[in-house]
Amino acid sequence: MKVLTWRFPTKNGLPSLSILLLLGAVISILLLTAPVVEINLGRLWLSLGKLFQFLLNWLTIPDWAYLPKLAAKLLETVQIAIFATFLSLFFSIPVGILAANNTTPHPLIYHLSRNLMSFIRALPELVWALVFVSALGMGALPGVMALTFVTTGFLGKLVAESLEVVDIKAISGVQATGANWLQILLFAIFPQALPDLIATLLYVLDHNIRAATILGIVGAGGIGFDLVESIRLFNYSRLMLIILAIYLLVNIFDRCSDMIRDRII
Amino acid sequence: MSSKSKPLPDLPPRPRNWMPLWLGLCLIILHWISNDLEFSVASVVLNIHHIGEYLSRYTSPDFSELPKYLLLMGETLAIAFWGTLITFILSIILAPLAAKNLSPHPILYRISRELLNLWRAIPDVILALIFVSALGLGPFPGVLALGIHMAGVLGKFFADSMERVEPGIYQTLQSTGASLTQIIAFAAIPSIFQEIIGYTLYTFDRNVRMATVLGLVGAGGIGVELEKKMGFFQYERSAAILIVILFSIILIDYLSAFIRRIFN
Repeated sequence: MKVLTWRFPTKNGLPSLSILLLLGAVISILLLTAPVVEINLGRLWLSLGKLFQFLLNWLTIPDWAYLPKLAAKLLETVQIAIFATFLSLFFSIPVGILAANNTTPHPLIYHLSRNLMSFIRALPELVWALVFVSALGMGALPGVMALTFVTTGFLGKLVAESLEVVDIKAISGVQATGANWLQILLFAIFPQALPDLIATLLYVLDHNIRAATILGIVGAGGIGFDLVESIRLFNYSRLMLIILAIYLLVNIFDRCSDMIRDRII
Repeated sequence: MSSKSKPLPDLPPRPRNWMPLWLGLCLIILHWISNDLEFSVASVVLNIHHIGEYLSRYTSPDFSELPKYLLLMGETLAIAFWGTLITFILSIILAPLAAKNLSPHPILYRISRELLNLWRAIPDVILALIFVSALGLGPFPGVLALGIHMAGVLGKFFADSMERVEPGIYQTLQSTGASLTQIIAFAAIPSIFQEIIGYTLYTFDRNVRMATVLGLVGAGGIGVELEKKMGFFQYERSAAILIVILFSIILIDYLSAFIRRIFN
């Protein structure tokens, strides 16, 4: 009895050409780039030991006196994330309206806003944060601006997409009463798109919390600054508290937004 | 007149409009936060011409070191590529264990789910920071960081997709006496093949983006160069690097859209 048959559901039993080509390309790229990223088994084995040693350092007494400052920093992180989410919602609803093909005033504006958003989204928020920090100096403000900037590009696209899938019947129903452009938007399109929108918003908030924890690495406010500092100074008794706090923060937000999403959808 | 007409049942209570309450709450929170962060609209509006002046410094990119940037971008792509490979291997192994209908034991299910949660919860830049200080500077810690963080994301996606597969498909194989690995290989993975391709490409896209910033913490790639140029206020060179990053990311986006089209 044959346990495994490696026949693909094609005529000759071989995988299709596109799969083979892709696989070949992937493997050759992997082999070609292995030296660039310094991958070899010896190094891998050696680094396991190093990593283990490094983690052993974490078994120290936590720096309890640091807790109040940690709490303040965490609060700042959450504040940055929430503020940026609100601001980007504020900006992305008009942008999304311009970029959805059933609400846009003109096809030209549609293309323009779509392209602008994909340009903003293309660069990660840390790069934007770097730019804003060098413009405005260190602090929470460049962090908020960087997050707002990137998530507006992101949220605007999602708003546009959730506006595009609304039922046309409701629109024509409201249109039949002689409603104007704004009234159609408010009474036919938004009520339908709302659950989608809230789910998206939760996702964005989640993303922003994660992003806000690392913004401090480039000096844009939040817990990240303390994290880098304690790693550079080998201050393990603080480091472990910070990592634990970030883990808990992200996890709590993750679960809360999962719960809310389940109730709404 | 034998029957008195019954009074109509009471109308259901009028739906309450909670919108003003929510909006008010949001405004209060916003006010509190903007106070705390010392954010003022007035200062942003008043300084808008400063922002314009600052951005104008980026308008003349200096491409004199272009080969170096391209080489570094290549390294960035290599980091993303290897990170995706590690992610893929880890998540394809963990996903069946973290899918409720495939997991051999409830305890194993919980453990693998929690492991995925842990990996997902720690941002990749922080993981890179940890790996860099444990293993030293270089692209390798970056690869590990991307691989492990995204394995938490991709593993959850795969596991969720495997849970959504119609139970009949698994039962058919079970009734032939197939073992767990056979069910995974011939029922679970083929049923979610499209999703595997899609999510893996998504992972790669995201890894390319993240690999460009990993250099900021010393984990290789073009980010090191960008931070150096930014640190010395060399706006023309920074602009050139930003353009290189932007074009490679757009290129990768088109490439992955193309691959997605092949498989659809």
